[in-house]
Amino acid sequence: MTALHSPLLRFILVRLLYTVAVLLGVIVAVFFLMQIVPGDPVRIALGTRYTPESYEALRNASGLDQPLATQLVDYVGSAFTGDLGVSFRNSEPVTTMLFDRLPATITLASAAIVVALLIALPLGFVAALREGRLADNVIRVVSQFGISVPDFWMGILLIGLFSTALGWLPSAGYQPFADDPLGWLEHLVLPAITVGVVTGAIMTRYVRSSVLDVVNAPFVTTAKSKGLSTKRVLLDHVGRNALVPVLTISGIQFAGLLGGVIVVEVVFAWPGLGLLVYDSVAARDYPVLQGAILLIAVIFLVVNLVVDILYAVIDPRIRLS
Amino acid sequence: MTDSADGSMSSSLSRRGFFRVAGVAGTAFLGASALAACGGGSSDTANTIKAAIAGEPDQLDPQKSSSYFTFEVLENVFDTLVEPDDQLQMRPALAESWEISADGRQWDFTLRNGVTFHNGDPLTAADVEYSFRRIIDEELSNAYKLEAIESITALDEHRVRFTVNAPTPNLLTSIGGFKGLAIVNRRNVESGEIATKPVGTGPFSFVSRSPGASIVLASNPDYWGGAPAVDGVHFSFISQGTTAVSALRSGEIDWTDAIPAQQLSILRRDDTLDVGTVVANDYWYVTMNFDATPFADTRVRQAVAYAIDRKSIAQVVGYGTATPNELAIPSTSPWFAPYDRYTAGLDRDAAVAKSKELLRQAGIRGLDMRLMVTTEYPETVTAAQVIASNLGDVGIDVAIEQLDFGAWLDRQAAGDFDALLLGWLGNIDPEDFYYAQHHSEGTSNAQKYSNPRVDALLDSGRTELDVEARKRIYADAASIIADDVSYLYLYNPSSTQAFVKQLQGYVVRSDKAIRFRDARLERS
Repeated sequence: MTALHSPLLRFILVRLLYTVAVLLGVIVAVFFLMQIVPGDPVRIALGTRYTPESYEALRNASGLDQPLATQLVDYVGSAFTGDLGVSFRNSEPVTTMLFDRLPATITLASAAIVVALLIALPLGFVAALREGRLADNVIRVVSQFGISVPDFWMGILLIGLFSTALGWLPSAGYQPFADDPLGWLEHLVLPAITVGVVTGAIMTRYVRSSVLDVVNAPFVTTAKSKGLSTKRVLLDHVGRNALVPVLTISGIQFAGLLGGVIVVEVVFAWPGLGLLVYDSVAARDYPVLQGAILLIAVIFLVVNLVVDILYAVIDPRIRLS
Repeated sequence: MTDSADGSMSSSLSRRGFFRVAGVAGTAFLGASALAACGGGSSDTANTIKAAIAGEPDQLDPQKSSSYFTFEVLENVFDTLVEPDDQLQMRPALAESWEISADGRQWDFTLRNGVTFHNGDPLTAADVEYSFRRIIDEELSNAYKLEAIESITALDEHRVRFTVNAPTPNLLTSIGGFKGLAIVNRRNVESGEIATKPVGTGPFSFVSRSPGASIVLASNPDYWGGAPAVDGVHFSFISQGTTAVSALRSGEIDWTDAIPAQQLSILRRDDTLDVGTVVANDYWYVTMNFDATPFADTRVRQAVAYAIDRKSIAQVVGYGTATPNELAIPSTSPWFAPYDRYTAGLDRDAAVAKSKELLRQAGIRGLDMRLMVTTEYPETVTAAQVIASNLGDVGIDVAIEQLDFGAWLDRQAAGDFDALLLGWLGNIDPEDFYYAQHHSEGTSNAQKYSNPRVDALLDSGRTELDVEARKRIYADAASIIADDVSYLYLYNPSSTQAFVKQLQGYVVRSDKAIRFRDARLERS
């Protein structure tokens, strides 16, 4: 059997092609989205420095004087080679700016996922095992509340309590890990809790339903009928099996956080991708904005691809559907 | 969000699979932390001023940047030949003294001795010539300020001659009004490092920058004005005003200007803080299109000027920090001239009656007006709402058009507006306040105002060297401009900053320059 006949490899190849196709679609969509935004980006970039000469020069330098089709082909071509142009604000390569900011966002998203799991795992388990009882109902109400609370409001509340009133933690900013590990951690706590609580509330529901599915599965009934203690059943059978889908969801939530913590990063002055997106919108720095949207889309696509492939590797049935 | 997460789908993921996923997540986390650790190092001491500004500098080349955030930082890194003092009078800086030739066409500046750049290079007249030539030859954003200059020549190591095409009373303001005219280091420019690692002659030197987060400056022990009393300044960027205020109140930062106006009263009540407010040299105005009927009629424009309640607008936009004004220049400026035609002796009812009378004379019964504002400056939107209500009282129906700044600029340039609302920021000399906006040939005369008397006055103000005579010229020009309602002036905003009481010797300035050179920290 040659490699191409392997159903797994074929599946991966097809998924890869599919991802590239979606990516191409995203690039084209982002390109046209920027076309329909009102106002001439060159004019805005120049602001008070506007003169007809500087206008022509920047238009020429940024390729905006070319026909739309040429611009699109150029943009797609250079985007695939990692060249996302240069910022209107400071002429830095967009790719460099994005990768400068990515670590801070990955740090925050990772810490938030940890917080979310610390909340979701115990609460989800308790809710599932006490299905329909008081504990379950309380947890469901609390998690609904957590889902509904806007993250910026939670951030402001936490700052008000832990920074202003108690003075325990810094309210804003960022400390590189190498300079001061303790300072790094202190600055991380509040934003991580803010994002983590909201994400944790969402994930609590996944954990609950996932545990419920497993608890009611035939093999658990079998295990119980064999006379195993409830504790053993929970740890060995329910726990591990229920965690698998939860981890998948964590991965997808993580990808979501990488692109979606804009407001929290602004509230806490956290120098990640979200703050860069916010600043670029404020400064009408279109190349940076375009690049950031693309990067976030790529992260989503890659995480989805990895999740799909992992599934396929583990469970051959997926490949057939 | 539903409760139907599918648990059966991947129930056969093995234990190894579980750990692999967990391992990947863990590695990503550690890797990110290690990467994040590569940012700029800081070495804050108790004697470092921790300041929070509301945004990140776009780049650090003072001659190229147009961002206020850049200048908040670079004010402390660079020097100009001359500079405005607290009262905005021009004083010696890198130039110790200057002499003007009898015909007013030659200005010879003598440089201070023993000044060095942060990289050790001595400051010479060649650096001064190079700095100004760069702005002019590369047509940088402040080149327009140097239009009167015919030539700049280094006479020797320590003397520079500026030759101007006519007597230029505002030359000092033009060459040193703010750090956009900074004297830069040639090696620093030619290596291209000026945008990221600027080298100046100022009281603080650049140490490091962490993108999106902070910039660290260290005190310059060799500063010509004497070494600063603090070890350095750590600027962090906090765009969310509520966060900045929390950081200030919890003692994480010592100083900020990122203050939401509605939080001012809280800050004022906090006895560990000082809140400094001065009237800024900025102004906000409405202008009407002289090419659009019926706004070409002076009576109509005056009717609008009478009907607008400046006090309410100032209250609404500034929570009591803005100062209503009927001319551009604030009362705190040495160039201030009194003028109160549209409010003197008139209560609200009388002003409305006067406005209606003028509209009647112009033959106007009902009138629609499109008022163009931009979301770029939210106060324009707030002010426009008050104006719409004010003008409703006299039968003018205002449609507020909220535009993106790009679209706003396009429409302004195309003359496609009835009225618009915006401000002019960072003015010092009276020429900055009036020439470009109201001279027939002015570059920012979008309303198409033209009055030969005003043109003549503004032209003579440009070349009049006698200060008192110049004051009279601009007072005359300004009152004609206001009578004609070329601009309808609304208010001067304030410059407001808050800082801990331990920060001593710091002065809140009306040009909003953030100077920490004379500040000290007295932490008990």
